[in-house]
Amino acid sequence: MFGAGAMTNSIPEIRDTDLMFVIGSNTTEAHPIIAMEMKRARQAGARLIVADPRKIWMAEQADLHLQLRPGTDVWLLSAMAHVIINENLHDQAFIDANTEGFEAVKERVQQYSPDEAEKITGVPAEDIRTAARMYATTRKAGIYYTLGITEHTHGTDNVYCLANLVLMTGHLGVRSAGMNPLRGQNNVQGANDAGATPMYYPGYQPVTDDEVRKKFEAAWNVPLSPDDGLNLNVMMKCLAKGTLKGMYVMGEDIVISEPNVSQVELGLNECEFLICQEIFHNETTRFADVVFPASCFAEKDGVFANSDRRVQRVRKAVDPPGNAKEDWKILIEFAQASGYDMPDYANPGEIFDEMASLTPKVAGISHQRLEERIEGLQWPCTDSEHPGTPTLHVDGPLIGKAQFQAVDYRPSAELPDDDFPLVLSTGRTLYHYNSATQTRRDPGPSIKQRQNFIEINRKNAKMLGIEHGETVRIISRRGAIEAEAWITPRVRFGCIWMPMHFAESRANLLTNDAGDSVTGTGEYKVCAVKIEKIKPTSPVSIASAVDQLAPVLNKPM
Amino acid sequence: MLTHEAQRQRERILELLEHEGGVTEESVRRVHKETGVPEADIWGTGMFYTLINKPGRRVRICDGLTCQMAGADQLSADLEAKGLPCERVSCLAQCDRAPATLDEDLELVTYHGKETGVTPDDPGLPMNLGGPVDESYSSFARAKELGAEAVIEILKESGLQGRGGAGFPAHFKWSSVLAQAEAERYVICNADEGEPGTFKDREILLRQPTKMLEGLAIAAQAIGAKDIYIYIRGEFTNERRSLEKAIEIAKEKIAPIKIHVALGHGAYICGEETALIEALEGKRGMPRLKPPYPTEKGFRNKPTLMHNVETACCIPAIVDRGGEWFKKLGKTEAGSKLYCISGHVNRPGVYELPLGASLDELVDAAGGYEGNPQAFSPGGASSGFLPMTYRDLPLDYKNLADAGSMLGSAGVVVLNDSVDMAEAVKWQLIFFERESCGQCAPCRIGTRYLRRQVDQYVQLGDTAPLTYAEDVAWEMEEGSICGLGMVAAKPLESAQKHFPDAFKVR
Amino acid sequence: MIKSNSFTVEINGQTYSADAGETVYEVAQRNGVEIPTLCHDPRLDPAGACRVCLVEVEGQRRLQPGCAWKVDADMKIQTESDRISRHRQVLYSMYMSDHRTDEEGGLPEETGNVNQLRELCATIDPIPLEKVEAPRAARPGDDNPYIEFDPELCILCARCTRYCDEVEAVNAITLAERGSETTIATAGQRSLIDTSCELCGGCIDTCPTGALIEKKAPKLMPLETKTTRTTCNFCGVGCQMDLHTHNNRLVKITSPAPGETLNDGNLCVKGRFAYDFVHHEDRLTEPLIRREDGQLHPATWDEAIKVASEGMNRVKAKYGSDALGFVSSSRCTIEENYLMQKLSRAAFGTNNIHQCAAT
Repeated sequence: MFGAGAMTNSIPEIRDTDLMFVIGSNTTEAHPIIAMEMKRARQAGARLIVADPRKIWMAEQADLHLQLRPGTDVWLLSAMAHVIINENLHDQAFIDANTEGFEAVKERVQQYSPDEAEKITGVPAEDIRTAARMYATTRKAGIYYTLGITEHTHGTDNVYCLANLVLMTGHLGVRSAGMNPLRGQNNVQGANDAGATPMYYPGYQPVTDDEVRKKFEAAWNVPLSPDDGLNLNVMMKCLAKGTLKGMYVMGEDIVISEPNVSQVELGLNECEFLICQEIFHNETTRFADVVFPASCFAEKDGVFANSDRRVQRVRKAVDPPGNAKEDWKILIEFAQASGYDMPDYANPGEIFDEMASLTPKVAGISHQRLEERIEGLQWPCTDSEHPGTPTLHVDGPLIGKAQFQAVDYRPSAELPDDDFPLVLSTGRTLYHYNSATQTRRDPGPSIKQRQNFIEINRKNAKMLGIEHGETVRIISRRGAIEAEAWITPRVRFGCIWMPMHFAESRANLLTNDAGDSVTGTGEYKVCAVKIEKIKPTSPVSIASAVDQLAPVLNKPM
Repeated sequence: MLTHEAQRQRERILELLEHEGGVTEESVRRVHKETGVPEADIWGTGMFYTLINKPGRRVRICDGLTCQMAGADQLSADLEAKGLPCERVSCLAQCDRAPATLDEDLELVTYHGKETGVTPDDPGLPMNLGGPVDESYSSFARAKELGAEAVIEILKESGLQGRGGAGFPAHFKWSSVLAQAEAERYVICNADEGEPGTFKDREILLRQPTKMLEGLAIAAQAIGAKDIYIYIRGEFTNERRSLEKAIEIAKEKIAPIKIHVALGHGAYICGEETALIEALEGKRGMPRLKPPYPTEKGFRNKPTLMHNVETACCIPAIVDRGGEWFKKLGKTEAGSKLYCISGHVNRPGVYELPLGASLDELVDAAGGYEGNPQAFSPGGASSGFLPMTYRDLPLDYKNLADAGSMLGSAGVVVLNDSVDMAEAVKWQLIFFERESCGQCAPCRIGTRYLRRQVDQYVQLGDTAPLTYAEDVAWEMEEGSICGLGMVAAKPLESAQKHFPDAFKVR
Repeated sequence: MIKSNSFTVEINGQTYSADAGETVYEVAQRNGVEIPTLCHDPRLDPAGACRVCLVEVEGQRRLQPGCAWKVDADMKIQTESDRISRHRQVLYSMYMSDHRTDEEGGLPEETGNVNQLRELCATIDPIPLEKVEAPRAARPGDDNPYIEFDPELCILCARCTRYCDEVEAVNAITLAERGSETTIATAGQRSLIDTSCELCGGCIDTCPTGALIEKKAPKLMPLETKTTRTTCNFCGVGCQMDLHTHNNRLVKITSPAPGETLNDGNLCVKGRFAYDFVHHEDRLTEPLIRREDGQLHPATWDEAIKVASEGMNRVKAKYGSDALGFVSSSRCTIEENYLMQKLSRAAFGTNNIHQCAAT
């Protein structure tokens, strides 16, 4: 690939783009303000290709909607690469100058013809060709994706396929183009940048690199582990296996946000010691041995890094309630009490300075500089004079040459069958946020979406005898929940969709915890379920429904 | 974010709302389902137009100047007393049949007692309303032979000025459209006649629609347009039938040029060319900012040539007999002109006279004055009032402009001394308040302000309410976006100037 | 003839450089020449509807709207003259006859939004025009929790409806009726909740007169609140926002002005309105320790920190460092994430540190 997982380009560049390829991102709901930039580009004449199993709002506005079957992204994207290469639309000069491994990809994608892809993905071959041509022949063409790409067992493969498209068309280092993962949470970028990841110290410096480790050992005055740690997905499994015995969980409700939560709950029961640091009670604090009352964003100072690598200030406006404390203060006190000589930082600015001194990528950023820069500073920002980097790779890949990755299609871990005939995907809505501990405490979102629901195609609903608004039971191999059925043409036949926000009806009781082999990210976007009516219906319609569903099951998913 | 397809869907919404019987929550939802246009946009657009914004059946009675003088208020009261629900509406372009009335199905109902007239057959007249109908399309064939440049040259020679009201030389628009790089072009015919006192386009649509169609076809051929849109007043039921009959024949004669008929849905402002385009595009009829002009970016943002019915109707004869011939038909300016005359005259109607005829000459054609004339309005509500001292003034674009008035659509209304001039002003102001689109503040606020102040004066006889009328009128003219706001104070201003006695303390 | 893209224009006798495609308003604003306006928002296509920005353009008989009039080489523009002064005096006076400002009957209820119309009216000696009492309809049954519309204050500049269409593209509100009855409406005058409205509140932000206000915010004068610039805590876009606080309580959130930060004056429903959680009664306010009865009980910080560190050290002593897991949070700051991973690695010797990091 080509450097760190972050948007290569900037959000304000979107309005000037000529083509947007939006895949696995319901941008208007998950990133409404980025969607406004996209709408603006669209109004100025930019073309729009949307690849999504659902007919989301953006898809309705698109020049081309590639409504693929969930989990078949590798097929779709490889077929696009197939078209680009075979029609000689790739940028050979860029490939020669900046990349390695193109030949392997060229060879591999020969197996992925658009006609075959049509059978697997359900997207007409001609649409795949059109999309490939539009993307390859437009200079300012940007790819925008999010969890629809990554939350699969083959999420990394999906990302590789997108990167291959970007590299073979030279859409890198160009304003308003690039490869742009839209980050789902306010500081998910910053948390990664800060080293909250089992493989990297801050700034993506590998923990297995001796030089790097020595630097941190010297700075922190303590020997450090040379081994990669466990990612969250594996941690959850180790918890269940009984090999992980103590946890400190800050600001995350793992019981609602991790897949296959009943396993997580079993694991937490076995956990010998659990600390939760939270602003509200949640599903996880039920298991905690100690709960630290923490502060929300309005109650503390610091910085967040957003999707386009932009470091911006967070400022304290009000005090934390009661005896609650700023999280950074709690962490210092806890570390000191635990026997480590954590410095007495006077403020988050000093903490940032320590990180910046160890992290070349953000070495030029400080709280003081951000007072002047109201639009923030985008890393890389290597010294105090550096203006930040709105567009990455303008002068070629950051390090060495960018790597193509030849990828093979692997089906999702759990496919529908006779017992569980429907594919469930999960996601976010506009009105709620993650486990909704914040948004459900406000009237607007609660009125707009009071309770959990599924989106189901009219045909599937009819076969099951389900009416719009009826409460049904959704069952997977891992659990069962109840939700309202919303009949809508947005979802494909054979697919249902459900938001992840509702604690009393947790989508992640159903989802599969099979993780991506590289990132460990769970397969939230594909698992097999069935739906049962709760309200009685005539037995005839159920029998005929099963009959009617049978032909679908034979189709490859 | 309107795609091409979304734009086309949007163009359908007014027609669909009409088929639904008007704007209701349910009809809006159904039209939304069918077209994908957002519900709010359908609602907001529909609520702009008076023929669809209040569903339900009722009689419509005109409250324009002429109809008010002819007792429209009394008629309305009588019909209501008989249990017929009535709505008072803006000018129905039937001033010669005042008080004009439409039944529940928009069919004309006659309550008037006067004889009406039209200039009898005279082959020497370009429009010749009383003459035979010529469906040969020979002028169109001749224009095709001559080619665009020659036709525009003839048009230039003829001195034909746009008959919609502005009096702009017609050939300028043709040349401007031709000069555009964009190849997709449109011809639009403005048949949304609604200026109080005006009903000449109506007579063309009824008597000589073919001449108008032929004129439009010549224009389309010359500027390279494939489609002609005719925007006709929704209240013109008979006129539409007559037009559609003529189109049946025209279709073959002018192929492959296509004719589309779009109905107005009740908004005087859609006579303004950019508002008309907005209406055609399925939007609220709010005039656009100019530039760009329609000849550059008009319908669907493409170069558009728009002419009034009468302008189009003059074209075949000009092509046939030459520019010089047409020009000489005029007295003080080029060509003949359809003058509408109503109010206190004996035989109201539409008369084709040399451009520059005087009021007396026109009233002669209309059978003489009824009673003792005190004032006339020479060109619709927008032209204000003139005293009888102007009875010999040539009624043309320049002379009337110099007199602080305008020829406009040549809708002449005569008021005899039985009329209270302040009351007459009030009737005109009611019209402008009701028909202001509401987009810009000077017009939206000013029309209402003036009407209320004159109302107060008429009721109380106290001049205090009129203290600041002049300031407001000044700002309406300076600050409004379009012509409606610019002239809406004219009835009051002109009456105060020429009939000061009518605005003294009573 | 190909025209040059850059040229000079003259405003009030001063020469300024300008680019083709720019409007008079844009050139003037860039050079500090003030042209008043009500209906202009840089995010929207010019409407030229409020008529406040009319200027004199040499060669044009009529006054022209600065917000929409495109500059051309050597164009001469006057933004101040007797004619323009009279225009402003009468126009503002007309606005005052149609809209509630503070010139009559004492101060109106303070809306908490800056009323640009009122500021303009303060610059003239108004003509005492009688009220026109325009019959603009309100939406009395609109029970949405956030957005309130007061037709008395509305000047029909259509910034809200154009924003809803051109920027947010949800088209929930529209101009309806016409003439003096023109008002801001929803389809069927339904509650915003029952429309395509996504409650982003952008209409409130763009309203120049306070006709649209935030329902739940207390009606405080702008000077009574303190504002703190910060970054939104929901999705990964990183919108900048101003937190308005009063007596140590968060009372309102607004966006910085268009053009200042990456969100260009925009916020979504969550960012602008979903802040009730901050002062919610369910917030955790005391450290809690699970006692022998199996229940969580309030404790002091000292005790909670002690019990917690002993607990983690006990596990480490028994099973080794790698039997510990640290879950950090993408919801917390960079500094806090840095400390969490430092805690995991330096204090407890394990790289088992992660956060919910799917993207």
